[in-house]
Amino acid sequence: MIAFIARSSVQKIVTLFFVSIVSFLIIHLAPGQPSQVDPLNPKFTPEMVARYRQAFHLDQPLYTQYLYFYRDLFTGKTVSWKDNRSVLAKIWERFLKSLPLFIVGTILTWTISFPIGIRSAIARGSAFDQTTTFCAYLLISIPGFFFAYILIIFVVQTFQVPVIGMQTFGLNQSSVTAAVMDRIWHLLLPSVLGATGGIAVLSRYVRSQMLEVESQDYVRTARAKGLPAEQVHYRHALRNALLPFVTMFGLILPGLIGGSVIIESIFSWPGIGRMAYEAILARDYPVILTVNFVSAVLVLGGTFVSDVLYLLVDPRIRL
Amino acid sequence: MPIRLTIKMTTRRVLILAPLLLTLILLQSYFWVPTYEQQTRGNPDRLEKYITASIGDASLLNPILSADSASSEIENMVFEGLIDRDKDLRFRGRLATSWKIYEEAFFYVNGVAHVPGQGVLDPAGVAQVIRDAQKAAPPASALKSTLENIVGIQVIPSRQFRTTREGTPAPANRPKKAITLRGQAPARIKLVLHQIDPDLFANLTLLLGRDYFTSFPAQNYLQADGPLGSGQLDGWAREILPAVEHNPVIEFNLRPNVRFHDGHILDAGDVKFTYEAIIAPQNLSPRIADYEPVKAVQVLDPLTVRVVYKRLYSPGFGTWAMGILPEHLLNSEALRREAIRAGKEPANFTMRQSAFNRHPIGCGPFVFREWKSDEYIALDRFEDYWEGPPNYKAFIYRIIPDLLTQEMEFYAGTLDAYGQPPGGVPPYQTRRLENDPRFQSFSGTSFGYSYIGYNMRREPFDDPRVRRALGMAIDVDKIIKYVLYGQGKRISGPFPLQTDYYDRRIAPLPCDPEGALRLLAEAGWKRDAQGWLTKDGRRLQFTLITNSGNDIRKAILAVAQDAWKQIGIDVRTDLLEWSVFIQERVDKHDFDAVILGWSMGIDPDLYQIWHSSQTGPNQLNFVAFQDQEADRLIVAIRQEYNHQRQVDLCHELQKIIAAAQPYTFLFVREWTAVLDRRIVLREVDAAGKGVYKKITPTPTGNIMYDFNKWIKLSEVPNFAVD
Repeated sequence: MIAFIARSSVQKIVTLFFVSIVSFLIIHLAPGQPSQVDPLNPKFTPEMVARYRQAFHLDQPLYTQYLYFYRDLFTGKTVSWKDNRSVLAKIWERFLKSLPLFIVGTILTWTISFPIGIRSAIARGSAFDQTTTFCAYLLISIPGFFFAYILIIFVVQTFQVPVIGMQTFGLNQSSVTAAVMDRIWHLLLPSVLGATGGIAVLSRYVRSQMLEVESQDYVRTARAKGLPAEQVHYRHALRNALLPFVTMFGLILPGLIGGSVIIESIFSWPGIGRMAYEAILARDYPVILTVNFVSAVLVLGGTFVSDVLYLLVDPRIRL
Repeated sequence: MPIRLTIKMTTRRVLILAPLLLTLILLQSYFWVPTYEQQTRGNPDRLEKYITASIGDASLLNPILSADSASSEIENMVFEGLIDRDKDLRFRGRLATSWKIYEEAFFYVNGVAHVPGQGVLDPAGVAQVIRDAQKAAPPASALKSTLENIVGIQVIPSRQFRTTREGTPAPANRPKKAITLRGQAPARIKLVLHQIDPDLFANLTLLLGRDYFTSFPAQNYLQADGPLGSGQLDGWAREILPAVEHNPVIEFNLRPNVRFHDGHILDAGDVKFTYEAIIAPQNLSPRIADYEPVKAVQVLDPLTVRVVYKRLYSPGFGTWAMGILPEHLLNSEALRREAIRAGKEPANFTMRQSAFNRHPIGCGPFVFREWKSDEYIALDRFEDYWEGPPNYKAFIYRIIPDLLTQEMEFYAGTLDAYGQPPGGVPPYQTRRLENDPRFQSFSGTSFGYSYIGYNMRREPFDDPRVRRALGMAIDVDKIIKYVLYGQGKRISGPFPLQTDYYDRRIAPLPCDPEGALRLLAEAGWKRDAQGWLTKDGRRLQFTLITNSGNDIRKAILAVAQDAWKQIGIDVRTDLLEWSVFIQERVDKHDFDAVILGWSMGIDPDLYQIWHSSQTGPNQLNFVAFQDQEADRLIVAIRQEYNHQRQVDLCHELQKIIAAAQPYTFLFVREWTAVLDRRIVLREVDAAGKGVYKKITPTPTGNIMYDFNKWIKLSEVPNFAVD
């Protein structure tokens, strides 16, 4: 076990190193300039461009810039070119704001997908199965932003309540409960929208996993033994069908920093996805690269967690 | 066995109950949320707040460090400049109560030139010639007004100097090094002029001889400390000892007892500090180019500041609309203390790092309260504002990146305005919103235009007839009608349509495909059997490109391609990602024709876009427009301080550009903004009673001009009759 962890860590660090080089190159070699250097502004003289490039180390060879950037990153000194604030502080601040959205969205996805998927698998071919199949494909096909607009217009016009932002704008809530509830309300729509795609996909997975397991010999044996259907489905089938999902848990980790650009923009949610998107538009390299690096770490960390979880839940796998 | 069964039953129940419970918890929060009704009508405080929205957040709230529109909008509320522009775009005093513009001019006494009828003169002699001429009635009238304008004549004695320059020593191909130059500058005459006179030296040649200034042998007064590559010394001599020099001077008298938001009183030191902060290289101010022509800013007394320019540069005056920074919070001592407090290295700590940029203090009508990144920026009114506090108690700038949600919030009453200029509401919504009785709407013209630019380095665009014909083939009115839903106006030149620099007598190109064909035939392009225009066996063929992501430009691309195909031109089109478009094609001059737009300021300075010296790679005259007369006018416009004469020069320039057609000028956009109907102007009349007036935009379309007098009422009032 320890050997596995050690070997895996070394591999992941090597991968991370290559990821850092590749992402650095891609971003620096892509056309475009930091928005501070505006080539079409008549007021911008070549001397000013040169001075900006110097201040941002853009006049140095790429490998020097690479070293500068990662030195600053690991000493926590990276600052955004847009507003000179520490990148790590900015990411942390935004991360905390995206976190509730992520948590509620994930919980919704996982709690709703399972009952739906299991039910469709058990009652395969029934009206329920067909309806959920139809809905799943519908949700997968409808673009998220379109669905969001429809939902916003519907809610705002029917209920006359605000839905955008993290809380109702401009009102100081009288009580703490009201303030908390207000925040929960504002979480509702964006997290439901964030979850719809997930629910559609995940409930399909659950269904097919369940179907596969239900057709196994041991399930037939259990049934033949005369066990109640309930027990066959939930004890014999479900537990084995769950195995692949345990590992999926590790893979949702990177979603923590990804955020959702579209949902966050439509709902004016000051989250991390919007920040990263704006940084890309403005070619704010320190922010883009740091977000990139952190998500690479999370992806690698996620796969690592998956591996370990698999070891723990599947007794057939031994090192 | 029964127990086990219960457990399995529980799994099932949990699977069903958990999502139900979660959904219930989420849904019940609805009952706690205040409705829009409670937020707007049921909330009397709401009337005293002005809430507006922007699609993007500000970057740094420091007027000398940021150039983006969101930051400027907030800075305009928090900071105040020395001057700004009034309803008719004329300058008016803000922090400055008045100003005086005059000139100090210098020329070196020429030791080799013969003054007509007097021979070679010594410094005192030259000064005497001018004085005598002032007394005697001079022959030419231009000279007469020039001489009358001179209020002081002074001889500056000869002086020794020493300086260094980076240069290539002889023999050639040796590396560059610092070269010391020394010499004895001859005596100089200083003239103080009542008004700025760009023609001063030209007119003085009538008195001192035609080549008095041009024959000044500057290189004779300069020596290098070693051998030099050829030509360098002459260049430096002209730079260090310019034969003539105009030094325009602006003296601002500041308003007394103006306070910053922290109570500190503004004085001339703050103005000087703001200038120094802009030119300090470590601050990387995007405004540095505006202030490069400034020679010195001097504090004469706490309420008088004197700005001396290196050369004639009339756009320089308008730059003093820049917000003034509080010196006491940002000078090197304050920054050093802040660095130490924050635990940072004081040597590397500049104004860019200061917390001031997220908590600005100025002397404008609103005081900064709070900034939540990507959520909102809140300002409160400044009770001690020198012009009296604004009517609104608070100004709130929400960041809502999506236009549809902005619109929903506006209908619900949690935003007071929708479609701020220059963008305005989307063109297809204009008609509907203009007619909506709940709102008041305003329209105006943007400062900026769209055009098709032709690469004049390439055939066939080097022929003005071809460029004109291409413009005549396109029906711009149809583009305005169908692409912009009527929200645009045609133009014929590069100046802002709402200023008097634009000459309305010059009509835009007519849409005349037949005429276009005639012009092309004159230029040698004839239609062949298939209908294609050909010349010397080659088809008239080129590629029109623009950037992707702009639907209007994309539509123009299609319209232009179609119109040109109709008259037999084989046009290909291409859409490119913005940075590829600019860096790989426009900057490297690798294009035939482009669709682009310029956004402009009010100032008529067109040097970077139209002067023939700006045609190199990465420069803005990428179509390579070159015209000697236009160059002369462009330079004269930036040197002219008299508004009327400047207007005349602009009209002449517009005529030349319209004749040459380096661009097909398409249109300027019109914008429409909508406001809640209950927002009105409240003024106090002579009897001290409040009167309400309708908000009217200025002739140039600025609706926010009287913003400090705006207030929102619970009902639409009866307006005072004007």
